[in-house]
Amino acid sequence: MKVLVIEDDAETAAYIVRGLHEHGHVADQALDGRDGLFMASGGGYDVLVVDRMLPGLDGLGLVRTLRGAGMQAPVLFLTALSGIGDRVQGLEAGGDDYLVKPFAFTELLARLNALARRPPLSDVPTTHSVADLHLDLLKRTVTRGGERVELQPREFRLLEFLVRHADRVVTRTMLLEGVWDFHFDPKTNIVETHISRLRAKISRGGNDPELIHTVRGSGYAIRAPGA
Amino acid sequence: MPPVLRLLRTASFRLAALYVAVFAVSALVLGAAVFLAARSALEQQMAARIETEAAYLRDEFRSGGLDHLLFIVRSRGRGASALDYLVQDREGIHLAGEMPVATTVRPGWTTVEVPEASEDSGRPERVRALVSDLGGGLLLMVGDDLSRITEVEEAVATAFLWTVGLAALLGIGGGILLSRTFLARVDAIARTAEAIIGGDLARRVPVRGTNDDLDRLAGTLNRMLDRIGTLMDSLRQVSSDVAHDLRTPLSRLYQRLEDAKTHARSVAEYEVAVEGAAREAEGLLETFSALLRIAQVEGASPHAGFRDVDLSAMAEAVADAYRPDAEEAGHHLITQVAPGIVVYGDQELLTQAVANLVENALRHTPAGTHIGVSLSRNGEAGVCLTVEDDGPGVAAGDMPRLADRFFRSERSRTTPGNGLGLSLIAAVAELHGAALQLSDAGSGLRASLLFPNVRVTP
Repeated sequence: MKVLVIEDDAETAAYIVRGLHEHGHVADQALDGRDGLFMASGGGYDVLVVDRMLPGLDGLGLVRTLRGAGMQAPVLFLTALSGIGDRVQGLEAGGDDYLVKPFAFTELLARLNALARRPPLSDVPTTHSVADLHLDLLKRTVTRGGERVELQPREFRLLEFLVRHADRVVTRTMLLEGVWDFHFDPKTNIVETHISRLRAKISRGGNDPELIHTVRGSGYAIRAPGA
Repeated sequence: MPPVLRLLRTASFRLAALYVAVFAVSALVLGAAVFLAARSALEQQMAARIETEAAYLRDEFRSGGLDHLLFIVRSRGRGASALDYLVQDREGIHLAGEMPVATTVRPGWTTVEVPEASEDSGRPERVRALVSDLGGGLLLMVGDDLSRITEVEEAVATAFLWTVGLAALLGIGGGILLSRTFLARVDAIARTAEAIIGGDLARRVPVRGTNDDLDRLAGTLNRMLDRIGTLMDSLRQVSSDVAHDLRTPLSRLYQRLEDAKTHARSVAEYEVAVEGAAREAEGLLETFSALLRIAQVEGASPHAGFRDVDLSAMAEAVADAYRPDAEEAGHHLITQVAPGIVVYGDQELLTQAVANLVENALRHTPAGTHIGVSLSRNGEAGVCLTVEDDGPGVAAGDMPRLADRFFRSERSRTTPGNGLGLSLIAAVAELHGAALQLSDAGSGLRASLLFPNVRVTP
């Protein structure tokens, strides 16, 4: 994927760009809002990483301007402070996701992957499949190998979140935000416990091959065996 | 600025001056109206008197002839209020009366000037006169001194000028007095502000208890100063907390790195050191963001970003999220949530507060503990959200300090945490006008969030 990093702190920008290059992505960087706006409006980027506070042009204003000009590329906001309402402001300005500094690179990468490959809203499918696991989002049913799997509503949402991001890493924080609407870091293992229960249910007591994989140091990914 | 100049520039003085000006103008308009009305009435009165006399004399002439008329005219008194007369014949020969002969007079109203020989001023007397033709060129003139009217006019005008002048003086004097008292109170406010700028933060604006505009302003300023004081205190508290309590982890981090620098000999050893240092730094960052969060919540303007939050659904969802975890750890999580309770607040912060309460109960109690999450209407007063456990509880002496920043009881020092959880909950509660109540629940701890005046949907 091709990423534009608009970040005034040269060290952070270099850290992100280097990491993206190491993972085989193309990344450009802009060190202030005006340059960023100029480069972004040229188009061609799959996703933008925008710092909230930028010299020249503030991050919120930049994204508003881009959205006003009809640019649809997804935007991930970076911010040094997570004030009350900051996240909401960012999303209202047209941002798609929000990450508070300091962050682990794997977290940023997982979120960029999720954003860059998000399908347009119009053609979100109502059924998903991973190997012989099928989800019907309208009927809220799950089958494994044709056989019905009973899930709690929260477990269904967890599975749905994983399946929507199939073959990609989702981090613990992404799950907390997306499934539980928790915008803070619980000190307990609620994600781990829910995942292990879900695993047990969809592998029907360990008889079926594992679909939900733990990605060490990053999070989880659902993918078909051998994929 | 000289005091007099300052006085002239005060709002109340300007207001008083404006009132005086408006009063003076309206008094002048009124005076002019009275003046004109009086003059018109006097003139009419004079004309009526002259006409009556002239008609009487004409009648006497007709009935008694010229000699009779001359006799009457000559016999008319010459007192202060007497009229002036003249009878002259066709050739303009003076026959009777004290007014001088006029050659060009015609019958009708006229004004003539009579030289006043008797008076030293020599100023001619202006006389309003009615000329009647008695037939055959014989003219009768009856007139009255116009200065009589002028005198009344002058008296009226003088009275008015005195009145207006006095009122203006009183108004200006009153304005100055009012400004003085007003200024004294404004000065008191300014002196308080100066004292606060100078560092005496405990100073407050004097309140007189009269509940007038200035008193209310003083009250508002004092409340503002109290609020600023609270925020300053909390800021000061945060800085001193940070200074004291972050020294330990920072020096641990430093020691680890120092140790690695002197003793690590292999890549593996360096990796272990870096790993440890990174964990230490992570913990530090977490503590910092928790502190920042508390400061933000404490400094947040109430109701910014507030909306209706379904507390019942939220409590269930939080319990739901922690239930598997609790069960894994051998705890029993029991909910007793009344449905449909809605509070006006910040969903994210309330969720975090309730989650922190549940987490605290999970982390500080041994396996087998029952943890109850309950939400109920608390009579008329509002709504009560309680998280309680039947664990070992908290030492009575620790109870009042539980919500202090960085406070950790002896028993919990070994569990991970930074001692900021309850501080954040207390700050969130305060932002929502709710109270965090910690009490003994038999054996364990009971933590309650008491929300006042909550809307309850049926």
